[in-house]
Amino acid sequence: MSIRVVGCSHHKAPIAVREQLAFSSAQARNALGRFRQRFADVEAVLLSTCNRVELYTAAETHSPPSREELVGFLADCHDLAPDQIDPYLDDRSGLDAVRHLFEVASSLDSMVVGEPQILAQVKQAYQLATEEGCTGPLLHAAFQAALKTARRVAGETTIHKRRVSIPSVAVADFAQQIFERFDDKRTLVIGAGEMAEETLRYLRAEGVQHVTVVNRSPERAEELAHRWNGRALPWAELPTALAQADLIISTTGASEPIVSASLFRQVEAQRNGRPLFILDLAVPRDFDPAIGDRPNVYLYSVDDLREACQRNRAERDKQLPRALRIIEQEAERFLADLHHRATSPVIRRLHDQWQKPKEEELRRLFNKLPQLDDHARDEIRQAFDRLLNKLLHPPLASLRDEARHGVPHALLDALARLFRLED
Amino acid sequence: MQGYGTVFRLRHLANSHGARRRAMLSRVTVLCFAGSYIVAFALELSRLVFRSSLRGLVMLGFTAAGLVAHTAFLFYQAERINAQLHGVGLPLSSTQHWYLTAAWLLAAMYLFLAISHPQVQFGLFFLPLVLALIGVGHYLADPNPAASPPDPTVWGLIHGISLMLATVAVLVALVAGLMYLGQAQRLKRKAIPPRGLYLPSLEWLQRANGRGLNVGMAMLAVGIVSGMVLNVIYAERHQRFVPWTDPVIVSTVGMFAWLAGCRLAGWAYRPAREGRKVAYLTVVSFVFLVLALAVGLLLETRHSGQRSVRPILQWHAAAGLEERASARGVPAIGLAGPGTTAEVVSPKRPGSPRRIGS
Repeated sequence: MSIRVVGCSHHKAPIAVREQLAFSSAQARNALGRFRQRFADVEAVLLSTCNRVELYTAAETHSPPSREELVGFLADCHDLAPDQIDPYLDDRSGLDAVRHLFEVASSLDSMVVGEPQILAQVKQAYQLATEEGCTGPLLHAAFQAALKTARRVAGETTIHKRRVSIPSVAVADFAQQIFERFDDKRTLVIGAGEMAEETLRYLRAEGVQHVTVVNRSPERAEELAHRWNGRALPWAELPTALAQADLIISTTGASEPIVSASLFRQVEAQRNGRPLFILDLAVPRDFDPAIGDRPNVYLYSVDDLREACQRNRAERDKQLPRALRIIEQEAERFLADLHHRATSPVIRRLHDQWQKPKEEELRRLFNKLPQLDDHARDEIRQAFDRLLNKLLHPPLASLRDEARHGVPHALLDALARLFRLED
Repeated sequence: MQGYGTVFRLRHLANSHGARRRAMLSRVTVLCFAGSYIVAFALELSRLVFRSSLRGLVMLGFTAAGLVAHTAFLFYQAERINAQLHGVGLPLSSTQHWYLTAAWLLAAMYLFLAISHPQVQFGLFFLPLVLALIGVGHYLADPNPAASPPDPTVWGLIHGISLMLATVAVLVALVAGLMYLGQAQRLKRKAIPPRGLYLPSLEWLQRANGRGLNVGMAMLAVGIVSGMVLNVIYAERHQRFVPWTDPVIVSTVGMFAWLAGCRLAGWAYRPAREGRKVAYLTVVSFVFLVLALAVGLLLETRHSGQRSVRPILQWHAAAGLEERASARGVPAIGLAGPGTTAEVVSPKRPGSPRRIGS
């Protein structure tokens, strides 16, 4: 019985390698089909995200696939030579592999620790493998335990609540504290930087629907607006857009503020005092800092949020040991359960073998004492059951204790020979 | 014969059960529920210091236990006073019970919010107000039931309840306003939420604040109108009325005018109903509320809140109930006909004569 994971992640593999190894959903389905043909008795789950590609395998057989075989399989899927990818791949087995799976599902191994998407990606990967018939009792138990561990980490620590990237902090710790809902709010994007798009991703997850893009280049504004189902406005209409917006994300490369305090005061009257969240991600800043002093205006620059990010990171780091302790506990418990499960055939045989003499003795006794009523017979039967359970308890307890450190092969053999257990 | 015996036994059982229930309820004191609220408040404070997965449940448990004890206390008081008044007059109509009932409403509101928003520390704001209402009610307010005329009118009930609801609504608006100011200040300072202190969004708080003020204003309007009707009825039937210049009336109307003015300004000029302005206006509304309540407690007034139980007994006597009252151990007092003004001494402030008879 073995569990193994071979794969690469953002820790070791550059993005170029990760891109080469990445699987789309259709490719993953195809790869799992090929895996099943090549390794018939081996369970497999393929997890492919933008930050990692990992192949989880588990086998009850005594000869599970080796690292070389699994590396070769991944390379074959992308028509690569194994040597090209081998240096970037990690190989973990047993407790290490289980611990890694639990860390991945709990988002402790993510590039942005605590990001919530990974759990859904792990679930999807497992579901796909199940649909392709690649999973069995071992990986089923492992992934169920991983999901349970992720829930424990989320519930017992604040790691997931502490955002550390600037857009995520801006949305979770500030925008969500100003607005209760986002589906009726108007978002204005000034410029077309990457950070603006990342912020929009977080805002869209919160329900933002109305997006307006203003950019000096109308083509780029159109392009971004099209991607986000929004509308593009010419640069000259910036004051109108400012008056209508509830949230503003600004990322232009302008060398001086594009919205001065005097320009803002002109549009302020049209805003009717509505709260305004401004995320100024540009360096140098796009908004005059004096605008932040206006009533109902909440203006945040990169520096303001960086400080919040650092504090969040420090808070999260304090929680990390606690999260790792949970992972350790759950991984050990899972393996102990797994090893104990390996002893179940012997236990079942032992139990079955002792049932036969018990039934014979009961039959003989009841024949000799025909005057016994049903109640007395039940009592006697229960007494025999209790005796049997008491006799079986010491060997079963010893098996359970030994299973904490691995499958107790020696003890299982000894039991089989002592009690002449037949297959 | 056997049937008569069964009826007798059943009646005896019902009586003994009722007596046991009354004996049990009589043991519930103000300290029982105030103590539960204090423990819940201490637990709420501890959220600022450390995390615990069990605390939320324990806190809700203490609040719920406090609310149950609070309900039992008010129920017992209503029963007791009703028996004392022989069904004439309204139970829980004393100033003391008015405060304790308002505290009950606020505690119930807190429990609802604590269940629906478990992550928000509403208790830090609600529970001190609940405890303050209990404290004022228990130590400062007049415990004697309000006098009721021989022909009690539903307007009195409407008047008392609407003013109580107005008070609770303004207190809820105050809590939302204070939370708004705290949250807005943090956001302006660009600080991340402090550990253990989670407040709702500004949008939610502004909505709660606005609704609290609207309900408060509407209830005040109902209270004022019902008070006017009550005054007219009393003046016509009993030649008794509270002067329009009574401090309680003046302060209540002043508070209503302030709230109505704020809301009108908000409707006419939208920026006046957005943001911190509303929160500050709510704080001023609270000051008006405190003034109105303090006037009722501290100044000479002929408003109902300052009546004593004695005029009720006077009406009992006038209505031929003197014998029943004496039979139940109520001390016999001098008669004064309904509609006349009697002078009594408040048990809370010995030696301070107060004019009664409105």
